Amino acid sequence: MKFSHNDLLTLLSSVAIMLIVSRLLAEMGRKIKLPVVMGELLCGILLGPTIFGSFCPDLFTHLFPKTGGAQIALDGLTQLSVIMLLFVAGMEVQLSIVLKQGRAAMYTSFTSMVIPFVLGFGIVWFFPGVFKFEAHNKLVYALFFGIAMSISALPVISRILMDLNIFKTEVGMMVMAAAIFVDLTGWLLFSLVLSMMGQTAGITNIWQTLGMILGFGLFMLVIGKKIIDRALPWIQTKLSWPGGVLSICLGFCFLGATFTEYIGLHAILGAFIMGIAFGDSVHLHEKAREIIHQFVMNVFAPLFFVSLGLKVNFIQNFDPLLVLIVLFLAVFCKLLGASLGAYMGGFSRRKSIAVGFGLNARGAMEIILGTLALNAGLIDEKMFVALVVMALVTSIMSGPLMMYFLGSSERKDKKLKPS
Amino acid sequence: MQSPDLSTRLKGRPAFPFETIAVAISFSPRLEALLAEAKRISDTLHGSLLLIHVGEKTKEKETRLEKLMLKLGMDERNYRINWMDGNPVDTILKLCKLNVVDLLILGALRKENLLKYYVGSVARKISRKAKCSVLLLTNLEQNPGKIKRFVVNVEDSPKSPHTINTALYLAKNFNVGEITMVKETHIPGLAMTMAEDSTAPEANKMKRGFAEEEEHELTSMLDKCDKDDIKINERFIKGKPGFAIRNFAQSKKADLLIINSPDKQMRLLDRIFTHDLEYILEDLPCNVLIVHSRL
Repeated sequence: MKFSHNDLLTLLSSVAIMLIVSRLLAEMGRKIKLPVVMGELLCGILLGPTIFGSFCPDLFTHLFPKTGGAQIALDGLTQLSVIMLLFVAGMEVQLSIVLKQGRAAMYTSFTSMVIPFVLGFGIVWFFPGVFKFEAHNKLVYALFFGIAMSISALPVISRILMDLNIFKTEVGMMVMAAAIFVDLTGWLLFSLVLSMMGQTAGITNIWQTLGMILGFGLFMLVIGKKIIDRALPWIQTKLSWPGGVLSICLGFCFLGATFTEYIGLHAILGAFIMGIAFGDSVHLHEKAREIIHQFVMNVFAPLFFVSLGLKVNFIQNFDPLLVLIVLFLAVFCKLLGASLGAYMGGFSRRKSIAVGFGLNARGAMEIILGTLALNAGLIDEKMFVALVVMALVTSIMSGPLMMYFLGSSERKDKKLKPS
Repeated sequence: MQSPDLSTRLKGRPAFPFETIAVAISFSPRLEALLAEAKRISDTLHGSLLLIHVGEKTKEKETRLEKLMLKLGMDERNYRINWMDGNPVDTILKLCKLNVVDLLILGALRKENLLKYYVGSVARKISRKAKCSVLLLTNLEQNPGKIKRFVVNVEDSPKSPHTINTALYLAKNFNVGEITMVKETHIPGLAMTMAEDSTAPEANKMKRGFAEEEEHELTSMLDKCDKDDIKINERFIKGKPGFAIRNFAQSKKADLLIINSPDKQMRLLDRIFTHDLEYILEDLPCNVLIVHSRL
């Protein structure tokens, strides 16, 4: 099929509208302290079948066609976007922070991952009637729901900690360490779940898949990271700046994604692990890190989040009961798991609850997880909408509740508080 | 089991003065230089010197050691020696505890080969586990006396005031007029947080806020120390903890890098996912003093 002149026009105009409208809405949301991702999602809802599609169906189909070259190209762009999003998410996973925090971090990380996972898994397993899934997918669905309950969103969490000026306190570092651990294990497990879906050919055995995930992860994080450590100083001084490091980093991100997709794992795994290997390098300049983040978060992330609203009708698929169940379970499981771990690690009761609410923020990571599950056919649109709502509500409630449980005495000198 | 008396003597014992100074010796070609440096340090600090050798006691070794000590102007009244058998790391650590050693001096290679680094050499293993301050000497010289440029790593830790005071104590005794106090700034996740929803002035303000906070912390820590006439240079460096200070000490051609003891026991995993002290042990930039605060 040839990519026509009209396809190009449609693609360019749709991308332009998505970027401009999402930025305007995100900026408006920012004024009232709403996460940027909320503005981007709202843009998708406005431009998608929920609103624009209902009122101007012809224009909507013309701008965002469901078939043809423009649609394929836009799909390709959103696929690239999610891969890059996972790459930059990986760049902030610094395992040394978890190791440095010691015993308390180990407890919190472990329980904030395991307890929500086990509870989420158990609820699907023992009360399957609450959810809609195909009978043969019960195990995979239960695994997915366990992961959805346990995952945290590092970007939202670090923003909240900085806004509250508690980033460098013991509570702040504990929440960061646990979020890093949860992110890492959550995405590794999710890769396993996606492979179990059988959407990629080549692997049938779960142990083989698990072995490959761990093997690839360990290879990249131990040997690959050493190679990157040696290569980065050369790349950053001998190649043009910052173009050289930007293209090499993203090039390797796609190479990692290609490799994992080729061997039957999902492309996101390769990008995520490659992100960790690059991001954890002591030689990656802070400026380079900033540029990569800016590029991905402000160009590709909006395309991805807006595209969600283009695919799903949020009003038709809004099931209040399901939303409430998912929201309640998510908050309860995470609060229980994370707070218990922090308490066992020696934190006071109030601080432990604050840690629990800190880790409860799911943000963009939960939405990405839901999208991949939706695309893989694992969940339906109603569950997807419930997960999106849960991600937004938990992100918004996290900061104020942390502040409430920490109290003013626990926070650092306000005179030095960054804006 | 450790006697209650010994436990009381160790717990809460101040990080300095270094009253008992031990030096772990092996009969390597660098022995004479190590002993000369240990003698100079114990003389300057008026500490008693304890030599520890883990290995077979032979007539040949005894004679060699005696000759060397005489050459350095010391007879058996000025030092004690312990000949022990067993695992070098455990034995040295145990002896340090029993003798309430304040400072343990070890000769160390600047860089170990990869396998040895991961498996752990004696000096590095002791550095990770010791319950007293440890001085790793890399620049062993026959004619010592060149430890003049001190760099101190100041962390956000209750141990740091002890480390600063120990550095000042050493500087006074060694007539060092100037010390560089360094604070590393590392905000993981800052780039990610700033990427989406910060205007340029907001991002700059937040960065400036963090920088001011670091300055405030260092200044308030230094204000509580007895600096006398020693000139203090304050430096703030960006980068991963351990790695940034290592590079700084290297670039400034420091003679002695003074750091806190680790907050937890460092294991193999800490070497694989290198952080903090492990970056320094991976490639010693100069002589390194690890101050144990015994908190």
